[in-house]
Amino acid sequence: MADDNDVLAAFLTLSATLTGYSQFRLLGTGQAEPYLATTRGAVGDDVLDQLLTTSAAVHDKAADNEEALDRGLRAGILSDDKLGPVARNVIKMWFVGTWYQLPQEWRDAHATREPDVTHVVSPASYTEGLLWPTIGANPPGAKGQGYGTWASPPLIDVP
Amino acid sequence: MTLRRITTVEDLHAYLHIAMQLEHATIPPYLTALYSMHPTTNADAYRVIRVVAVEEMLHLTLAANLLNAVGGTPDLTAEGFVPTYPAHLPDGETDFEVGTRAFSRDTIETFLKIERPALAEGDGRFVARERSSRALLPGVDAHEDDLHFYSIGEFYAEVGEGLQRLYDEMGDDLFCGDPARQVGAAYYYSGGGAIVEVTDGASAAAAMRVISEQGEGLGGTIYDEEGELAHYYRFQQLLLGRYYQPGDQGGTPTGPPFEVDWEAVYPVKADAQLDDYREPGELRDAVFAYSATYGEFLTRLTEAFSGRPDLLLPAVGDMFRIKELASQIIRNPMPGAAGVNAAPVFRGLAPVEVS
Amino acid sequence: MPAQIDHAEAASIVYDALVVGSGVSGAIVARSLAERGLRVLVVEAGPGEELSVADYETYLTRFYGAAAKDNNAAYEVNPNAPMPRSPDVRRLQPGHPDSTGYLIQNGPYEMDSTYTRVLGGTTMHWEGKALRMLPEDFQMRSRFGQGRDWPIGYDDLEPYYRKAEFELGVSADVADQTFYGITFPPDYEFPMHGLPKSYLDQLVARDLDGTEIRLEDTTCTLSVRPTAQARNGVPNPAYDGGKGYVPVGAVSTHQVDEGGRCQGNINCVPLCPVQAKYNARKTLAASLQTGRVDILTQTIASRVHVGEDGQISHIDYQAYGSTTSPEHVTGSLRARMYVLAANPVENARLMLASGLPGSNGLVGRNLMDHAYLLTWALMPEIAGTMRGSQCTSGIEDLRAGEFRRRHAAMRVSIHNDGWAWPTGSPYTDLIALVDDANAYGAAVRRGLVDRISRQLMLSFMVELMPEPSNRITVDGRYIDALGNLRPVLSYSLPEYTMDGVAAARRVSRRIFQRLGAEDRTSYDPLDTGYVGHQGEGYIIRGGNHWAGTHIMGESSHDSVVDVHQRSWDHPNLYLVGPGSMPSIGTSNTTLTLAAMSFMTAEHIATELTTRPTVTIGG
Repeated sequence: MADDNDVLAAFLTLSATLTGYSQFRLLGTGQAEPYLATTRGAVGDDVLDQLLTTSAAVHDKAADNEEALDRGLRAGILSDDKLGPVARNVIKMWFVGTWYQLPQEWRDAHATREPDVTHVVSPASYTEGLLWPTIGANPPGAKGQGYGTWASPPLIDVP
Repeated sequence: MTLRRITTVEDLHAYLHIAMQLEHATIPPYLTALYSMHPTTNADAYRVIRVVAVEEMLHLTLAANLLNAVGGTPDLTAEGFVPTYPAHLPDGETDFEVGTRAFSRDTIETFLKIERPALAEGDGRFVARERSSRALLPGVDAHEDDLHFYSIGEFYAEVGEGLQRLYDEMGDDLFCGDPARQVGAAYYYSGGGAIVEVTDGASAAAAMRVISEQGEGLGGTIYDEEGELAHYYRFQQLLLGRYYQPGDQGGTPTGPPFEVDWEAVYPVKADAQLDDYREPGELRDAVFAYSATYGEFLTRLTEAFSGRPDLLLPAVGDMFRIKELASQIIRNPMPGAAGVNAAPVFRGLAPVEVS
Repeated sequence: MPAQIDHAEAASIVYDALVVGSGVSGAIVARSLAERGLRVLVVEAGPGEELSVADYETYLTRFYGAAAKDNNAAYEVNPNAPMPRSPDVRRLQPGHPDSTGYLIQNGPYEMDSTYTRVLGGTTMHWEGKALRMLPEDFQMRSRFGQGRDWPIGYDDLEPYYRKAEFELGVSADVADQTFYGITFPPDYEFPMHGLPKSYLDQLVARDLDGTEIRLEDTTCTLSVRPTAQARNGVPNPAYDGGKGYVPVGAVSTHQVDEGGRCQGNINCVPLCPVQAKYNARKTLAASLQTGRVDILTQTIASRVHVGEDGQISHIDYQAYGSTTSPEHVTGSLRARMYVLAANPVENARLMLASGLPGSNGLVGRNLMDHAYLLTWALMPEIAGTMRGSQCTSGIEDLRAGEFRRRHAAMRVSIHNDGWAWPTGSPYTDLIALVDDANAYGAAVRRGLVDRISRQLMLSFMVELMPEPSNRITVDGRYIDALGNLRPVLSYSLPEYTMDGVAAARRVSRRIFQRLGAEDRTSYDPLDTGYVGHQGEGYIIRGGNHWAGTHIMGESSHDSVVDVHQRSWDHPNLYLVGPGSMPSIGTSNTTLTLAAMSFMTAEHIATELTTRPTVTIGG
């Protein structure tokens, strides 16, 4: 995946599957590029490439079959020693904007890179976290929903 | 549509309805510029534009109070209330274009024109020239040439004088509207100037003063009577990179300097139309949903200005949702246009054809 | 810098009053004195670039970017004027003081309460509950045989409560706030109407209202009441005899016009992004309008000097230019009256560091705080948790009654922010879903709603009586970057309080049973704040409601200050703030200390304007 756009597209495809949010919503956070860069910085080009290549293969093979995609993802990525923790980190990053340091076991086995520390990717990545709209709320300290809106039931869109 | 100089209450209604249209017409351009900025960047520029946008909402509300006070019926859902951008506003001998565009120096220059101080007096208020089909201000029926207001400032000067003429004729009978339709301080406050409930001549004059002075700083000063910096000079601060402070002369602010990052902006499609989104998919759905949500907001405002001022509270919630939806659209690329991002369309509920 | 003055110039002036600390107490005293024509200097140990929205927003951005979002996360680490931070608190081993954080924890109980050393003080992170104390709270000794009586009563303070409600901009409705002896003058209205109850509050109220709970021999009938809050809501046109109220928006010395009504940012602590919540900068900004107030930030009052006549002669300061360097200059400041309004810990620390423990040795003693017991459960249905201000309602019915002879009273808050405080939700829920439940995609979204949107958290704020052994001291072994002595805290939770905690846990079980909510409360013995009591274990959190340390009384033998918060030992010294409170009942302290500040300012102004001016050479 030499082309940057291809890498981003592959990252978005995987992210949409992992988060349950469409690519439109993911792009709508403005965080796709910073999250891709954060992942790359924390795990390195090889692991990222392997993750995205495996994801592409799993998605291709499953075509539009959700069950096959689920099985392929669990077998090929989520239960993989190297790729599973990274994929889980990508999920968490999309939901709260925080990169969590990978488990020590992973760091010992694969790589200990300086950017792999628990940190909020940027102030904007905090406010753009998907967790808050998921629960019909706003990130604490930003995007308040307006005076008195809290008196009504929440607007929750559960898939 | 043409206007004649205000001689009847019906004339005044027509003028005030146009005033509401004008005040609203500035809001989509200001919001588009605001939303195009990258989040948590350009804090100073963001605040300056945001404050003006909030005050345009105040002006819109004041215009509604004025219209209600003289027995009119505000309707933000009327056909044509929301202009098609780019729209044209008068600027002396020529019109200028106002569009929904990304934050840039050019965009701010346009905003300066919108808020430009009034220049002409008396008959100099009008200027004869060709009229654009996209002009927001109707011409003036003077039985002869196409006459136009020199600028928005002149338009408001005519509203103010017309109001005074009618008040001199009719006295308090002019203010025959139901006071329950007035929006008061309980439901509207923002720190950006005070809402005025219009019930008599004095309060009508006060409301007019806020609308006209807050924009242009009437009388050649940069601050209005309440010590508020006029919008024109607020925007000018962005080009000059420095805040005004009391005592300053127009053009030479001496307050604290600040940085503007003109690059931290999503390159949104200028003057986006619904027609620009033909390709089926989530982006198109989002843009149409956005436009409908904006329409619902205008419907809510119409209800609020029709005796339900408490609805302004949920309307503020609508604004926050509108911003969120717009931001999502703006961060998505425009299909088929490299280096251009999508932009929201402010059409409201008006019937929409997509060919 | 908000002030147009430098240290050299300030040092050359003999002010009418020198106020140490720019929090709510100091700000109110400064504003009140200046509005009476007096000249005031306020010194603040912490930073505060300027009174502007831009300055405020740097705090907000720092908060957004902070991985640990504790209540001081918005404020930079400043070794020159450090502050306690809750992540610094460690589980204590008996006999081993912990000096990890600024506050030396001497035990036996490790306290996670904090305060904030920036311009505006701890109102820069307070939540904004603005509760009056109950009349019976002022008479704990005579009514219930516990603690101390105040030298004044509710009726003495009532007019000042009204001033405080104006200054802080309180949103509440009189009908909701009239309970357990609290009275208002006829026709009184709060400045703004009460904030609406959250959807969560309404679900709780639907089943809970009318439930009877017995505490000892007292039967308490529960109801969910809106909480009075210093937060902009809908102005009440009937306020002040029909004059209405104009809410105070964001603080700024140049025009930006941000701020306004509460938007429900659910972030009152640590930082309201739109300044709908009161902070002391609003009062400071108003005080500057008088032209008679100077403010010096990054200026530490390092030593109080007493002359031969027992009067304070001057206060030494250290002024630093940068929070990243200990470089500083020193000098002395003079005034006719000295007002220490730092906060109970810093007031006591400064007095003790100046060698002024009081003629009766009581400075620093009788430290109080509320003991917080948190209990949490999952509601049987989606409750829309995580929206609103942090708390919109509470239960006031366990605050009053004869049971107070036997154990502490308590006040319950219903938390709109869910389990954030006890469990670190929603982050911990997300991590558990992804890392442990192996959820991804739509399952994560559904799981988050299921785990978070049903959360109910009740905080029980349990009262604590003054005990001389709960105290702040200083110790030459512990100093900060500028060589100032750090506060050493010795603190334990009395039986009276712990019996109240045990009762609170029982009440919470009853409430959850009544709601059909799944009780998920658990207390880990390895966690900080764990306390055993009669075979049960609890985690007790600090309330950040520091009080005591210079307690008020009727006699110089058993108190530090008189009813005017004037030092018994030094007639031109006032120790102002919650440190003067002889008891704190079950009210968050801010509204009461604000009322006391108005009362004291009135007294100081009278003293200064009726006594001949003495000019000390400067």
